[in-house]
This record gives sequence, C-alpha cells and structure tokens, in this order.
Amino acid sequence: MANSESKAKKSPVGDFFRALGSDCREIGTTWAEGDGKTKLSFLIFGIGPILRGRALVGALHLALEILLIAFIAGFGWQYFSKLLTLGTVETNASGRVTTYGDNSFLILLFGLLTLCALAALIFVWRMNVRENRTEELLLKDGKKLPDNHTDFLSLFDSHFDVTLLALPVLGVFVFTVLPIIFMICVAFTNYDATHQAPSKLFTWVGLKNFRDLFSFGQDGFGSTFLTVLAWTLVWAFFATFLCYFLGIAVAMLINKKGIRFKKLWRTILVMTIAVPQFVSLLYVGKLFAPDGLINGTLLKWGLIRSALPFWTNPMWARITIIVVNIWIGIPYMMLIATGLLMNIPEDLYESARIDGATPWQMFRSITLPYMLFVTGPFLLTQFTGNLNNFNVIFLLNQGNPKSMGMVGGAGGTDLLVTWLYKMTINDTNYKMAAVIGIMVFIVTAVISLVVYQMLPSVKDEEGFQ
Amino acid sequence: MKKKILSVLLAGAMTAGMLAGCGGSGSKGGEIKIWVADNVVDFTKEKAESFLASDDQYKGWTVTVEAVGEGDAAGNMITDVTAGADIYGFAQDQIARLVAAGALVEVEASNASKVESANAAGVVNAAKVGSKLYAYPMTADNGYFLYYDKSVISDPSTLEGIIADCEAAGKNFYMDFGGWYQTAFFFGTGCTLTYDTDDAGNFTACNMDYDSDKGLAALKAMVQLASSSSFQQGSSAGDAVNYAAIVDGTWDAGVIQETLGDNYACAKLPTFTVDGQTYQMSGFNGCKLLGVKPQESEDKLAVCDALADYLTSEEVQLARYNAVGWGPSNIAAQNSDAVKADPALSALAEQFAYTIPQGNYPGDYWSLAESLRDSVIGEYQGADDATLQAALKSFQDSCMSYAQ
Amino acid sequence: MNEKTSSMKQKRLIGNILSYILLILISLIWLFPFVGLVLNSFRSYRPEVEYGGMVDYLVPKHFSLDNYRFLFSGDTNYLRWYGNTIIIAFFVAALQTFIVLCVSYALSRMRFAGRTFLMRFWLVLGMFPGFLTMICLYFLLKQMGLTQAGAIPGLILVSVASSGMGYYVCKGYFDTIPKALDEAARIDGASRARVFFTMTIPMSKPIIIYTALVAFMAPWCDYVFASYIAFGHDKSYNVAVAMQRWVWTGDYQGYFTRFCAGGVLVAIPITILFMLLQNYYVEGVTGGAVKG
Repeated sequence: MANSESKAKKSPVGDFFRALGSDCREIGTTWAEGDGKTKLSFLIFGIGPILRGRALVGALHLALEILLIAFIAGFGWQYFSKLLTLGTVETNASGRVTTYGDNSFLILLFGLLTLCALAALIFVWRMNVRENRTEELLLKDGKKLPDNHTDFLSLFDSHFDVTLLALPVLGVFVFTVLPIIFMICVAFTNYDATHQAPSKLFTWVGLKNFRDLFSFGQDGFGSTFLTVLAWTLVWAFFATFLCYFLGIAVAMLINKKGIRFKKLWRTILVMTIAVPQFVSLLYVGKLFAPDGLINGTLLKWGLIRSALPFWTNPMWARITIIVVNIWIGIPYMMLIATGLLMNIPEDLYESARIDGATPWQMFRSITLPYMLFVTGPFLLTQFTGNLNNFNVIFLLNQGNPKSMGMVGGAGGTDLLVTWLYKMTINDTNYKMAAVIGIMVFIVTAVISLVVYQMLPSVKDEEGFQ
Repeated sequence: MKKKILSVLLAGAMTAGMLAGCGGSGSKGGEIKIWVADNVVDFTKEKAESFLASDDQYKGWTVTVEAVGEGDAAGNMITDVTAGADIYGFAQDQIARLVAAGALVEVEASNASKVESANAAGVVNAAKVGSKLYAYPMTADNGYFLYYDKSVISDPSTLEGIIADCEAAGKNFYMDFGGWYQTAFFFGTGCTLTYDTDDAGNFTACNMDYDSDKGLAALKAMVQLASSSSFQQGSSAGDAVNYAAIVDGTWDAGVIQETLGDNYACAKLPTFTVDGQTYQMSGFNGCKLLGVKPQESEDKLAVCDALADYLTSEEVQLARYNAVGWGPSNIAAQNSDAVKADPALSALAEQFAYTIPQGNYPGDYWSLAESLRDSVIGEYQGADDATLQAALKSFQDSCMSYAQ
Repeated sequence: MNEKTSSMKQKRLIGNILSYILLILISLIWLFPFVGLVLNSFRSYRPEVEYGGMVDYLVPKHFSLDNYRFLFSGDTNYLRWYGNTIIIAFFVAALQTFIVLCVSYALSRMRFAGRTFLMRFWLVLGMFPGFLTMICLYFLLKQMGLTQAGAIPGLILVSVASSGMGYYVCKGYFDTIPKALDEAARIDGASRARVFFTMTIPMSKPIIIYTALVAFMAPWCDYVFASYIAFGHDKSYNVAVAMQRWVWTGDYQGYFTRFCAGGVLVAIPITILFMLLQNYYVEGVTGGAVKG
C-alpha cells in the first residue's frame, strides 16, 4: 500500500520520511547533548522544565503523562489487547442467570480510543523532548527562560489559539472523529442483528461487506446500490438546479419595478423556512397520500376516477418529491438571490437596454453569469447537501415505495443516506450501513473535489481578506 | 499543546464514566422497567404495583412503566439489550429475532407448565422458539377480520360485493397488503409459508410454495383489488378516511365503533374470486406476548418472572379486556361471558377457523413483503401473468435464502 | 412618441398584472399547507364531535379547541416535551454560538502550525453522513450515563461538541473585518483575548444572531437522533420525537389533528422569532453563499 502510494506521489511521502528522519536525528542530538535534567525528562516528562523553574509547562507534561498512562494501563489495555479478535469469551447462561462475556462493541470502541491515547502519549513525549531542547538552546545562548506568569499569560495572547481551540477540537475528536473511525472499522466486521453485543460477539471479516455491496444477482446488493446511487445523483441535480433557477426567477419577480408589498411576498415565502420541517413536511406528505386531501378532492369533483399514485408509483413518487422540494427550496434561494441581484450595477442593464436587448437576453448575458460566478461554491455545497437531504425524503414518504426489484428494504425514493438510516434502525444491519456510509463519503468527496477544481470563483483564501 | 489538554480531558471523562458505570447493586430490591403500548401504561403500572405490594418478598422493588409500543420495543431491545426494559410486550412475529439477539430469557420451568396448560394451544406454540417457551402469552387477538358499515355494504361475504358497494357509494375499502395481511390471499388459495427454527432462534428451513398456480391466483387477486378506485392500502382505522369497510384487528374496535356508530358491524373475511374460482380469505392468527430479558441477578430475575406471570394471568387478562378490549389468550378468560358477547371478538373467532397459527418469520421476510406490497399497488398494475409469476419466483427465492 | 409611451405603459401594466397574478398564485400554494395545518388543528378528535384522523375535506365541520385542550391537559407529556425542547434549543444556541465564535476567531486571525490541516480535516469529516455514527454516539453517551433519563444533557453535549466544524459562515464574516483594527489595538498593548472579547465580538452582532438563530431552530426538528438516545424514555423526548410518533406509530391512531395542533404551537414561536430576526438570517445566508 505504502509502496504504491509512494510511486504515485513521490514527494509528499518522501517529505514525510525525510521529516521523520530529521525528527529522529533531533531526538538523538537532544539526548547526546542534553544535560541530566533533559535525560531524566525522556522518562519523566516535564521534569526538565520543572527543574529549570518552569513549573507550569513541566507540570502540564507530567500530568499528561500520568493521566495517559493511567488511562491506558488502568482502563484501555483490557480492551486494546483484544482488538485483534474483538473478544473471545461468549455470553453464557448458567442456570437461568446470564453472564455476559466480552462486549465486542466496547472492545472496538475503547480499543480505538486506547490506540489514540497511545498516539497522544508518543506525541506528548516528543513535545516534551523538544521543549527540553529549546530550553537548553536558549540557556546556552545566555537568554532567560520565560517565567510561569508569562507562560500563563501567553495563553491569552500569542497562544490564544490553543485556548480557543482546545475544547472544540476535543469535542470534535470524541464525538465525530472517534465515531467515524469506529464506523469505518465496523465496515470490516460482521456486526449486524445476529452479532449484537453484548449477547453475541462480532469479529473482523475483511472486505466481505464490500464484496457483498458489489455482488449482483438474486440477493446481491449491487443492482439496488446502483439504483439508489443513480436516484441520489438525479435527485441532487434536480433539487439543486430547479430550486436555484426558480428561486432566482421568483426573486426577480418580486424585485421587479412597480411590484408593491415586496416585504409581504417575501414573508409569505419565508414561512417554509421558519416552520419546522417535521411539521410542514409531514403534513404535506399526508396531503398527497392516496387517501389524502388532494386525491380526495379530485375524486369528489370527479376529475379523476381513482387516486393518483403520488407515493405508490416509484416514478410518480420521485417527481412528487422533486416538486415538493421546490416548495422548500425556492424561499432559501429567493432570499440569497434578492441580496445578490441588487449588487449587479444598474448601468449594465441600462446600456443593454439602450442596445435593444430583450429581458431574456439581459438575464442570459448579465444576471446569470454574475449569479453563477458568485454562487458557485454555494451551489456545490447545496449539491452535496442535497445528496444527504434526509428530511425531505424521509418526512414525505420514508423513501417508499419499496420494490421487489430492490434488496435491503430500499425503496424507489431512498437516497443512500435514508437507506443507511433504515439499515441502522429497522434492520440493525450496522456492517452494511457502515459500508453505505463510506460510499456516501466517497461520492461526496469525489464530486466536491472535481467540481471545486472547475469553479471559476475559487480563489486562494487569503486573497479574500 | 491543544492535544495535551484534549487528552487530559478525555482521560478524565473516561475515568468519570468508569466510576459511574460501577457502583450500585448489592442491596436487595431495585427498579424493574416495563415497556408496553401507550394505552395500557396506566393499567400495567397499577396492576404491577399492586402485585409488588401484595407480598413482602417483593419489598424494595419498584416498577417504571414506559410507553414503548410493540414495534419499537423489539427494535430497541435488539439495539441495546442492557438498556432495554426488563419486561416488555411484543408481537409474536418478533420472537425469533429477539431470541437470536439474546433479548429473551426462557420462561421459568414451573411457570412454563402453567402457561402451557392455561393458554390456547396455538398461542403457546407462538411463544415457543424451537421447543423452548420464551414468552408469556398476553392476548390471542392478533388476527384480522372485516369491519363494515351496514348501511353501505349489503353482503359482506364476497370481496366483489363489498368493492361494488363501496365504489357505488364513493367510499373506501381499506386493506393492508403488508406481510401479515397478504397471507389472507396466499393462504386462501392454499399456499404455505412457514419457517423452521432451532432453539437459538436461527432459521433452518423455509417451507414455501408461492411460486405456483395457487400463488399466482392470490397475487392476481391482490393486483385486481388494488386496481379498484375504492381500495386504499392501510389498516389503521384511526387514520383511515371515509371508509365503508376495513380489514383490521380487535385493537381498533373502539375507534371503528365510534366512527361508524349504529352502522357498525363485524364479519369474518370475505371470499374472493379469481379466474372463475372462489377462495375464502385466510391469514394469520397470532398473539401479543410478554417477555423477560436475560438478567445478571438471580433475585431480579425471580421478581421479573413472577411479575410477568401475574401480568398475563387470567385475572389480569380479563381486567385488561375490560379496560382496553384486548382479547385474552387465557382459556378460562376466553370463556367468560363478557368476552363471548363481544361482536369483534366473535368475528375474529369465526375468522380464526380459516387461519393459520403464526409461527416464526425472519425480519427480512417482513421487509420483503412490504416490497411486494408496494409493487402490487404500483408497478404490477396491468402486468401480465408472466411478470407476476417471475415476481413470485423472486419472492420465493428470497424467502428461501433467509433460512440457512 | 406619445403613442409609444402609452403602449409602453400598457405593456408594463399587463406585465405587472401578470406578475401580481403569479405572485398571488405562488402565495396561495405556499400558504396552503399552513392554512390546512391550522384548520386541522381546530377539528375535534372526540368521536362524538368529529374525527381525529385524516379526512378528505379541509374545513372542519365544527370548530373546537379540543386538540389544544388535550395538549395542555395531563393526558400527555406535551408540555414537558415542549419544555425539553426549549431547554435543549437554548443551551445549544448559547454554547454553540460561543464555540463557533472561538473557532472562527482563531482560524481567521491567528496563524499556527496545523491550521490548514485542521480546516481541511474538518471539511473532510463533514462529508461523512451524520447518521452513520448514531449507534456509536449512543454507546458513547451511554457510557457517560447520558442516555434515557440523561438524554437531554446528552443531546446538548453532542450538538455542542461537534459545532466547531460549522465555522465557515462566521469565519467568512470575521475575514471581512479589517485586520488593521486588530493590529492597532495590539500595538496599544491589548492582548489577543482582549481584542477578541472587546472588539471582535461586539462588532459581530449580525453573525452572532445568525449563528444562534440557526442553532436554536435545529433542535425543533431533531426527531432521529433525539429519539435514538432517549431510547424509549418518554420524559426525555423533545416535541419532534414525541409528535412524529403520533403520525407514524400504530399506537397513536386518530392523533392527526392533535399532531396538527402540536405543530401549530411549535411553529408559532419559531416563526415569530424567525420573522423578527429575518434580516440577520438573510445576511448570514447570503454571506455564506457568496463566500462558499
């Protein structure tokens, strides 16, 4: 793996190893040239700074060492040591009382956490070695070391970023990074309804789940996956661009000269943003039901002979969803477009008008290029957001109608993300849910990367400031 | 630097978590959590509390009853057994899944023989996985029959007649085509679908002949019914619109009675005719069960056993019938006058003569059947016999594949 | 000449009339569901009056306040669920805004090792679907005792913990505040912290309100994760969790009008709040859209 990578892009990998090499050399120099305090610090973190009068910095290193080691030895190791098997002791019932065996779930979770703790320990050790080196060099130059008070104050000035970011980074690590690593690992296990911790063990199965996803035939996930993926992309395309253009159109309509009560029209539209979606969308979903208000009224008026299959026919359901989504999406786009349209210099239109341009020509050659240019990145985020637009699909018809042609409980309007949800909640098929989740990531990442390169308005971030 | 602070806090949080995890236990007594449907929460709480108060040996034990319906309860128990309820109600179709996930403990031996003799035989069977009894039968009313509006439907004995009356009156006919209800057609034309399980809740074999002329007749009947402008898919009377007939169970009797008022009537399911041949609708008969989850403490298990046994006893089943109208599974309770005089329960009893006791089915069957349901209503409208036959073959192949 | 202007005028008039017709049509379509919702909420669920399930007519035959009475009576925990949601929304809004401000300031104003890496890394993390990690978060919270009875602090913790990743809009705003202001203050001897608290924050009112508003509105719609970690513990539900059960669970048939009433009660304060702060919202969304 590392080999093929290094062939593909030589320089980053090369850089990495060069950096590692120089790091090792630096550690060696620190040891060779270091005094007793420094050498002691290799084992007892932070003892060097403490002895040099920087109690705060030293104590922090020491405390971290103690905590991490206590965590790993006292709590994490029992899980970490079983990480390769995910547990071997089965749950058994002696008499009627149940004794739970190894909990594969916790072994995997805390095993990974311990792994992270080990990495953190090595990192702290490295920082501690570097700290010693820096101090020694400073002293050798005859400079004074900053005292505890200065160290402390720097947390609110030159090191203010540390203070600001410590908690957010920790939070993201525990509640986002760790769970994602965990679920990526689950994709390589057989964790599902019949291997449910703590009653049953689950274990590593390699790439089996990925092979299942791409297996075609009777019960293979392959064709269902491709159908769902295709609909996900089609949906995201229509949901994004229909709302985009119609939203601009509505904004222009309201902005039109001579139209009064502009604020009123906007406020009416904005209602769909303000009212929580689970209220409005659930109600709209019911409106279109076979026995809902729309069908009921049409039947009563004799306009149709039997209910229109808004939600029961896959094609109808897809179209209905896209149409209802316009109802949701136009107001957002209208709000954004309203502000942006006013930024277009009026004299551009004026000179176009003198040249005898029709409104449509003006839209095509002035408005649209400008809008596309400024909102390029926004369109991209809208698109990736729509790929994962759970609420609209799920609240309207739960991804139905299901079909005999699809496996895993998938339905005609299921996006990858609603399918993932169904696998988690209805089937507790975590292994396949994890695989689908990875696929969602890959799709999103690839699209983002490709489109981002093509955007005209992408400038380097500093240029904006 | 930020990484350092991060690890400190992390380690701290974990240590705190560990400490919180331990502690407790030791002393006798504790809390028993029960999950039942919302409308019997108060009833169950009252009965359970009076039971625990009735005997000194249960001193120190308290109950909390939470409203978690039968569907959610099974799902939650499978997601996390340890956080789930100690005693919970569920529909019998979930039992194999729950046993396989380790969420049910076998019924205690002395209770087991009592349960087997006191309850109807079909119900006892439904509470078994393999040869072991895993749950306490609570009701025997998990079946469906026809509710109808006397003023609209002149003859409830044939499906064609019902549909004609409904169409003429511009009223709806509700029937569910999900896995539980569609067997009314398949079993009606003489098809079979059962699974064999071993004692651990694994499915070992599937006995099925949907891919046949009988199966085709049933599927055609469903497609034909779905094509009616009066047909609505569904079985929740409380959410049904403008209906003159609905295939539903006893649990909705109250709602329907209130809606139809004086025109309220019940009957066994009608017959249906395909290609000139007439069949009686069949279906499942089943029950609601009360289960106890595996326990690590012997004391607690004993209390849970006793409590579950009491909550499914003749006395409580009758009281529950009076409170919320759930049909008892206990033979003595079934024979009480009040239960016998109930129109819904009598219609159900009449229908039960044509039905098949529901065994264990894998969870995948139910979701697959939903796919068939949606396909029948949507894409199979107007499909030819060959398409339908192919659908049945794929349905059968999938069902077969769920047994190892 | 005169003819031309009058024909122009005529054309404009027709155009305006068409525009008004279109706008009125749009308004009707947009308002219809909300009108329906409100009308349904006044249909009694008691069988002796009317019907609490779905019906195929819009205007109730009898107007009644039964549904609202039900919500405020002891027959349901609606008020408790409502209170839970307010608590969650309030804490999430306050803490999330604070964290977003901190992160945005650090990323906008300070240059430190690993800054670009952190931003790229968080961007990549955001590409994983949120539901993926639900089961893992559940067990993590369970280890900390923050599920079931403790679900409310648990929900707040999870929402706040990952909020650092949502810094884009706010950082974009900070980027537009001239750096020269900071520099001037720093030359006068003010520390970074002082600049942040006494200069940047007071200048960021629109973005603070925008962030808080978005954060406040999100918990009202969270019926998936909130339901997952409440794990059947009725008292820890928020309104969304409890009310989607009224629509989707067979145990609650005929609760449709009560759902509508509950929905109206949720929608009113949120809508008012939103309308009041609409301008800030537009500013935030537009800024975010242009910045990307």
